[in-house]
Order: sequence, then structure tokens, then C-alpha cells
Amino acid sequence: MFDLLEKSRDILGINARILTYMRPSNSLGAIRIADNKLLSKKILEKNGLPVLQTYSTIKGIQELKTFNWTSLPSTFTLKPNRGLGGEGIMILFGRKKKYPYAWIKADKKLVEIKDLENHILNILEGTFSLTNLSDVAFFEERIKLLKLFKPYCYRGIPDIRIIVYNSVPIMAEMRLPTKESGGKANLHLGGIGVGIDMGTGVTTTAIQKDRLIEYVPGTRLPLRGIQIPYWKESLRLAIQSQQITKIGFLGIDIAIDREKGPVILELNARPGLSIQIANLSPLDERLRRVKGLKVKTISQGVRIAQNLFGGQIEEELEEISGRKVIGINEPIEILDYQKERYLTSVKIDTGAYRTTICESLAKKLGINEVIGHKKVRGALGEEERQIINLSFILDKRLVVSEAFMADRTEMKYDIIVGRKDLKRFLVDPAKNVFMRSK
Amino acid sequence: MSYLTQYMINHGVPKETIVLLLMLPIIAMIIAFARQIIGIKGFGIYTPLIITFAFLATGLKYGLALFIVILFVGTMTRLIVKKFRLLYLPRMAIVLTAVALAMLFLFLEGARSGREGLITVSIFAILIMITIVEKFIAAQIERGARGAIFLTTETLALSIACYWIASWLWLQNLALAYPLGIIFSSIAINILLGKWTGLRLTEYFRFKDIIKNIESSKKPFRKSKNL
Repeated sequence: MFDLLEKSRDILGINARILTYMRPSNSLGAIRIADNKLLSKKILEKNGLPVLQTYSTIKGIQELKTFNWTSLPSTFTLKPNRGLGGEGIMILFGRKKKYPYAWIKADKKLVEIKDLENHILNILEGTFSLTNLSDVAFFEERIKLLKLFKPYCYRGIPDIRIIVYNSVPIMAEMRLPTKESGGKANLHLGGIGVGIDMGTGVTTTAIQKDRLIEYVPGTRLPLRGIQIPYWKESLRLAIQSQQITKIGFLGIDIAIDREKGPVILELNARPGLSIQIANLSPLDERLRRVKGLKVKTISQGVRIAQNLFGGQIEEELEEISGRKVIGINEPIEILDYQKERYLTSVKIDTGAYRTTICESLAKKLGINEVIGHKKVRGALGEEERQIINLSFILDKRLVVSEAFMADRTEMKYDIIVGRKDLKRFLVDPAKNVFMRSK
Repeated sequence: MSYLTQYMINHGVPKETIVLLLMLPIIAMIIAFARQIIGIKGFGIYTPLIITFAFLATGLKYGLALFIVILFVGTMTRLIVKKFRLLYLPRMAIVLTAVALAMLFLFLEGARSGREGLITVSIFAILIMITIVEKFIAAQIERGARGAIFLTTETLALSIACYWIASWLWLQNLALAYPLGIIFSSIAINILLGKWTGLRLTEYFRFKDIIKNIESSKKPFRKSKNL
């Protein structure tokens, strides 16, 4: 029992979400921006962030009566301005060419103008609004689905929810519309939530209705390992929208348009908590680590997020394969003749068979005792190289090897590590990229 | 019995009135507890509270039966009226009318078969239950049938639990003996509940996969220490 309490301390529950994070960091005025879709779009657009185009708004019954229906395109979405959790959103995918020129909904049902009118009336009355007060309806451009996401979605478009706190993206999740959710990407309606590794933007675990799943329902399509395009840009957008709206604890929904790239869909001052299940990691622990940090620039916020909260993919890989994931440039410790450790950085070179060490370094460490010779054919022609015993520690693993000794004084790295010594590792060229690009 | 309650009863204030007034803070506190600690959502604080009082007025047997009839008729009417594409308030008015009509028939049947218990049921309790129908219908529109049924069941279970607690004689006597004690201790408990940031009981189930995962992700750390 005590163990359970100990472990669950890192999970963010509704009580703590409200008391610890929303109350202190989200002012009422700021929440009002997030709850008002048209207003938040206007503010974001004014600050140069990408949002969806609003075709027209309907503020009252008078405006509905005089509305010019021919102005609507064949595909659009109809939304309530203060809708909660995706309720009341109607997505129209196309239009019939024959009379009465009905539009087509996600479930292939036809929608005529009188249906739209009825739906708008319901919106105006506040049926879907947070407080049941009267509301505004608006028509919005429909996102063009990215080809990459097509097989994963039932109609609708996926969106990416990023939770930002104190200018650092904390956790992210992709939400996929399913048949059950009627083409909407909302989790409580039956959409799929897929956890995202913050470092790389690759999907990890997935849930539907708070249960873990592996595949897109009804298919053998794995939900794991999808690379989200424009990942860094999306993280930047998330931080920017937080800084503009000044909502301390914010959920940002981003969709990726085929032509426009990442676009901010809406802001959410009360982000849902199942994002924790989708990522199989607790939110409160991450929030605590970021609390009080001084984040100066947007790039810094992105870097903190990628370095602090990334690496889930690697851990999983390491667990499955039993091998360590290393990048192209790695720090290693060479054992010298007295078994003392000498720290240096090396280049991982899967193109070479044997590891090669610079002659001068080998001499310096006293490990230049030649134990054999071997002819190699390189770009510079045939050459005979000396072989020495070499032991080093790479990513906490001891590697005992026989390495070539050659003159590398002109090269950037004193050592390259070849295939022969990499059998217990996986090489990921994308790793440590953040380390280099400063 | 405390001097305060004794004085009121001696001057003609009905004992039931005092008991119900003193039970209100206790029931409200239990509902708050159910939300913050257990995680029972229900329909806020008003609905379960008022249903509890309706049950207290009608008795659990008739109260529950009436409640289910009212909900059933209300839902059926809503499904029929839905087809006419009406605005929300007129539509809801029709639903309420149908429920009132059904109640009228129920009393007619009660009078014909001579069910004393049914026809003497407090009308205000029934009126409360009828007006509560709006909440349930609104939930059906917003959350769909499954969500509405879930919320309704939760609310009903909560109300029944509150009914049992509120009709507990020992507690009633305690409240009459220490009216101020009951009120102030419930305020104190509410303040504690209002500051509670721990997980709700239902959240332990909801997040059980994460809790499991926290455990398994700690294992490799131990291994690497040996290296």
C-alpha cells in the first residue's frame, strides 16, 4: 500500500491539476482567452502564429436567417466558439453534385442546409458550451490531411496535444480520430491517444478509452514508431502560444496541414490527464522538474524539453534489444597500461571494420605494444597496419578489442570505433545531434 | 439534546425541519468527499443533494421507483420530440409536460388500486424529481447515452448512500445534541477536502498502467548499478 502511494505521487490527478497548477498559473482573464476559440485565434494570428482560416461567424438567430449559404465551400468544419471537449463540432467532407447539394459527414450521412441550421441553433443556444450560456457558431477551414497520417485516421484529422508549463513543453500526445469517435480526435469520445517521445517526436505507446493498444483498431498497423513531421516547429509553436496568451499551464492542439505545415487548432486551459496513460509516464514528476526554471528563449525551452523528457524511445529499444543506443560522436574512457582511465571523444564509424587509434595517443597511454600486423586496402591504396590491444569503456560498457594503430594526427578524432567493437550497441545517427548544434 | 434545538422545538419548530437543516451540511460534505477523495463525478452538488432530500420525503422504495419512471418517460419523450427539430427550452418543456402527465396517470392508477403509500407521497418531492429530468436530458445530449447512464447511476448511488446516512437515527440525535459542533466540523473537513491534492481513488484505477510502468522502469537502474 505504501509502495503504491509512493509510486503514484508522480502522477497528476484532477485535484492537483486544479489546485497546484491551474489556479496559481492560469489567471481568469487568460483562461477566458483559451475558452473562446475565435478570440484565441485572433490573438495568435495577430502575433504571427499559424491558425486556421475562419470563413464566417454566426452570432445570433438574425444572422442565421440572413446567412448566405452559397458562400460555403464544399468542405469545412462547423464549430461552437466555446465548445468543450470537441462536442458540437461538425466536420463536412464534401458535397453531393445533385440536388439538394447535401454535404457529407464523417459517418457518410448527408447534411442539408436545414440540418446545418438546426445544428447552428443548438450551438447558439449554448447546448455545447461550457456554461450553457448562448454561444457563437463559426465555419472554419478544414485541415488537409497529411498523406503520412492517412492510414491511421478514420476520416477527420489527427492533432497533436502538447502540454506546456513555464515555457517548457512537458508532454505530448497525438490524438487519432476513429470510427467510434465519429472522425473527431477527442479521447473521451473514443479517439486514440498516442504518446510521443519529446526528444525525437516519434510515437511510443497508445491508448483508446484509457486502455493500452498496439495497433490501429481492425488493422495490423502499429501505432508505435511514427515520426511526427515538423516536431521541433510544433514544440516552438506550443511555447510561443503560451508566452503570448500567458496561460501558465496550457494544452495546445496542433494539426499538420499538407500545405501549411503545423497550424494551431485551439488552446486548452484544462488539458486532460489521460496523456499520462498514452505516454505511460507521470506528469507531476515532469512538472516539478520544470517548476521555477528560468527559460529565456524559445529554443532553450525546446532544448530543455527534448533533453529532459526525451529518450523514451531509446530506453525501450535498449530494453528490447539489450543493446545500448549510441550516437555518432560519443565520449569514451580508454584504459592505459596501468588500467587508469583516459577520457576522450570518438567517432563511431560503422564503415570501418576495426577500431583505429592514433599512434601518438597510444604512445602517450603506453599501450602501443604491437601484437600483430594486417594488410588493409583503403582509399589511399594498400597499407600494412600494426595491431595493438585496446580496452575502453563506451557508454558504461567495457569493450576489450584489438585495434589498428595509425597516424591520425591530421584527423578530428584520435580514435574511430569500428563495427567489430560495436556488436553490443545500436548506432543512431540522430542521437546527440542536440549536443553538437549549439 | 442541546439547549438551542430544545428551545426551537419547544416553540413549535418541527423537529424534522431542524434535522433536515442539520443533515444538509453533512450530506453536502459527503458529496464533496465523494468527488475529491473517491472520484464520483455525478451531477455536481445540487442534484444528488436534492434527490437525497426527495428520497427522505418519499421513502427509498417509492422514491426510487418514481425516479426511474420519471427518467424513463423523460428519455422516451426526448427521443420522440428530437425528430421535430425544436429549440432547447420548448423541447424541454414538452419533456417535462410528458413526465407530469405520466405522474398524473400513476396517481390515477394508485387511486384506482388503492395504494395508500403511493398517493400520499409528498408532491414537492415529486416536483423536484421532475425538474431534475432536465439535468439528465442535458447530459444525454452532451455526453451521449452511455455517459448519461453512467453519470445518472453515479448520482443515484451517491444519493442512496446519502439517504442512508441522513436517515441514520444515531446521527440525527447527534446532530440535535451538538448542532454547532456538526456544522463547524463539517466546515473544517470541507477546508481539508478543498486543499487535497492527492489522487482520487478512481484515478488509481485509471492510471494503473502508469503505476505499473513506474515500477518496471525502475528495474534496469538496479541492473546498471552492478555494472
